[in-house]
Amino acid sequence: MSGAAFDHLKALIVEDNEHMRALLRSLLMALGMKNVFEAENGAEAFAVLREKTPDLVLTDLTMKPVDGIDFTREVRLSRESPNPYVPIIMVTGHTERHRVDTARDAGVTEFLAKPITAQNLFLRIAEIVERPRSYVRCEGYFGPDRRRRAEESHTGPWRRHDDGFEVEII
Amino acid sequence: MTARKPPSPMQKKAPAATRIAPGAYPGFSRADATRLSLALRDPETTSKAARIIAGKAVELRDVVLAHVDRLAAATRGSDLDAVFEHAHEIRGLAGNAGLVATGRIANGLCKYLDAIGRADRSPELSLVVLHLEAIARAAHAEDEATRLGDTVANELAALVEKKLAEINFSATRK
Repeated sequence: MSGAAFDHLKALIVEDNEHMRALLRSLLMALGMKNVFEAENGAEAFAVLREKTPDLVLTDLTMKPVDGIDFTREVRLSRESPNPYVPIIMVTGHTERHRVDTARDAGVTEFLAKPITAQNLFLRIAEIVERPRSYVRCEGYFGPDRRRRAEESHTGPWRRHDDGFEVEII
Repeated sequence: MTARKPPSPMQKKAPAATRIAPGAYPGFSRADATRLSLALRDPETTSKAARIIAGKAVELRDVVLAHVDRLAAATRGSDLDAVFEHAHEIRGLAGNAGLVATGRIANGLCKYLDAIGRADRSPELSLVVLHLEAIARAAHAEDEATRLGDTVANELAALVEKKLAEINFSATRK
């Protein structure tokens, strides 16, 4: 069943560790993906992104010369980006809070901590497919809405311009 | 449902934000999403993927052991950037290599070095060596998932938490 669902989709894996790259490729192919492209760092990945226009990106965080954070910013903000809306899942062993926050503020769609399990990877992809998020463009940021859910108990402060109900929805 | 209050006039207005709703940007069609969703929840596919991960464990274990050797060399040479780099590789790979305790210990070392670096302080070399020895033992153990491996990982995690609390405490006093 999965083969037919995923066979027309394209994915890009950005990871400097060849073993982890091979593992992720195998998992995506188990889903039935036939077009899985690879890059070893963010600079290489941006070139592949422009050429292949993938539907989904899985990226590591720490890579040289361009890491997953800068790559994500490039995808979201660059005029050269072929698809600033492409879903990006950051797959990393970095679990420190400040790194997760930096990844979120760069425009990462989902965050997946290593070690990888099939269930967790598929859940992240399902989240993207089943509950696509709005994108927000404001000064210094473009990417998925960083407010995951409405907190009914939150009484402010309301920092966004559109919190005053002047939401411009395209 | 509670109605959201508009911002108070005293509140500084943030720059305008534009929200682009799903459907207004390129994404998965509804028909695609339904088919993909079913595929992602197919137990047969998940089992197949889990078998793929399990099948990589032996190969990944060799990679982890190679990083343990490099971690030891980096520690001997007091090259902290390399120590972090190899500890980070170990924590990322060890879980999928079936070396859960090794990954936990390496994660503790990374957390410590990350916090030390952010606080602009020098790490205690004895703590780094303690982690290195524990990582090497756990990674080479015949049955890594023993109570001993877990106990060592728990004790080192507690030690790292204590050190992190000290770092945070001295940072707040500055």
